[in-house]
Amino acid sequence: MKKQFAALTILILFVFSIPVYAGAPMSTVEANVKKVLDVLRDSKLKGPSAKEIKKEKLRVIYKGMFDEVEFSRRTMARNWTKFSPAQQTEFIVLFEQVLEKSYVDKILSYTDQKIEFYKENILSESQAEIQTKIVTSSNEIPMFYRVILKEGKWRVYDVVVENVSLVQNYRTQFNDILANKTPEQLLEILRKKVKEH
Amino acid sequence: MKCCLSVALLCAFLAVGCAHSQRTSSAVATQPDISPKTVLFAADSGQQAMDAQVKPKTQSVNDDENIDYDEDTFKEERVEIADPIEPFNRAMYLFNDKLYFWALKPVAQGYKVVVPEPARISVKNLFFNLGFPARFLSCLLQADFRGAANEFGRFGINTIWGIGGLLDPSSSKELDLQKQETDLGQTLGVYGVGHGFYIIWPIFGPSSPRDSVNIAGDYFLYPVWYIYPWYASTAVSTFEMVNSTSLRIGDYESLKEAAIDPYVAMRDAYIQYRLKKVKVRKARSLIFKAEETSAPAADAALPNK
Repeated sequence: MKKQFAALTILILFVFSIPVYAGAPMSTVEANVKKVLDVLRDSKLKGPSAKEIKKEKLRVIYKGMFDEVEFSRRTMARNWTKFSPAQQTEFIVLFEQVLEKSYVDKILSYTDQKIEFYKENILSESQAEIQTKIVTSSNEIPMFYRVILKEGKWRVYDVVVENVSLVQNYRTQFNDILANKTPEQLLEILRKKVKEH
Repeated sequence: MKCCLSVALLCAFLAVGCAHSQRTSSAVATQPDISPKTVLFAADSGQQAMDAQVKPKTQSVNDDENIDYDEDTFKEERVEIADPIEPFNRAMYLFNDKLYFWALKPVAQGYKVVVPEPARISVKNLFFNLGFPARFLSCLLQADFRGAANEFGRFGINTIWGIGGLLDPSSSKELDLQKQETDLGQTLGVYGVGHGFYIIWPIFGPSSPRDSVNIAGDYFLYPVWYIYPWYASTAVSTFEMVNSTSLRIGDYESLKEAAIDPYVAMRDAYIQYRLKKVKVRKARSLIFKAEETSAPAADAALPNK
């Protein structure tokens, strides 16, 4: 009887503690980053052939970690309405591919760096900024994740590296391009960029 | 029976009040408060306590870019810079780009093979230590006396116990004197001087008329430029450049790779970076702090770590 009671108590504790834990923006990001690091440090995945497997595994993680629609819309800001729904969908896909191509090799090259999570800034009820830093042997790189709460999930909509917001950086570039080009031409540039490699 | 009752009681207890940890209190934390964690963090060193004082005020205001973009009230955060001499800048960008890929990078790569990383980090520390006069003066002019004292302490300790600055004992956990990575351009920024326009100098890279005071100021404040004759000082600063490049090969490449238009990406990154630096410096200043907190950004008071 006592044993049953103990088991029941533990079960109840679990049931109650999980949703509280998942609600925290910092622990969500932390868990995702940990998953990424686990893939990177997986001793079974070594050599050039494992690179593709790693990439595939990372893809699964960041699909859950990032809010790609939010990312694209914020990058486009006002320009977003200039795109037709079909163009918007294509833009989201292309932009994601551009980002993946640019950063996946950089991420794969990370090995012994330590990532410290040190602060959670609440921006509003549904937005937060998680401040982390990557500690390497020669310096520290501040890296902030901005997360938004949608449908009970905290997902990343902007990454700020060394005080430079990625969304804002791309927004400036796209603004510059759209100042004298059509959305279709912008998509063409992105298509080329994706194919380039 | 008793058992069932206690289970029911336990259920009721759990359902009524979940003890939230600091991290999990996100959903209700619309009101600014200094979390226990932050206080702990701030208590680590005096200067961070100062940051924490600014924090509650800054947190309560959303920065512009967080306003919903679907609404008409959407405001873009303007951190753009005028670029009237774009053709010149683009030419200079190309020049620096080639300089990097054709000269600097190959040399730095060779140097990297020969010299082990700890030695290169020591060399970097040494040159950083030499930059003390400009940083100290900047801190004083910004009325950031705590920062100035920090820099002074760092310079003394690292010069004496760090073998002329090769080692960095000041940054150890016990002393924890933080680097004050500031310069005269930021000082002018703290005083409210704007960038003016964007300019790319050959070799020196992205700048603006305001930030160009760094180049001019270093001529007087950076000891390397006092080395006689001129080609010796040039050689030393070239060595410094190669050394620092060897520690971050690949950074520029990935920035360029990720960009749609590398020139614009670089310009934006530079402006964002400098803007945030000035904001952080302002928050530390005794005179300009009040002014800054009346019109804050979401995270103006970042710990300078």
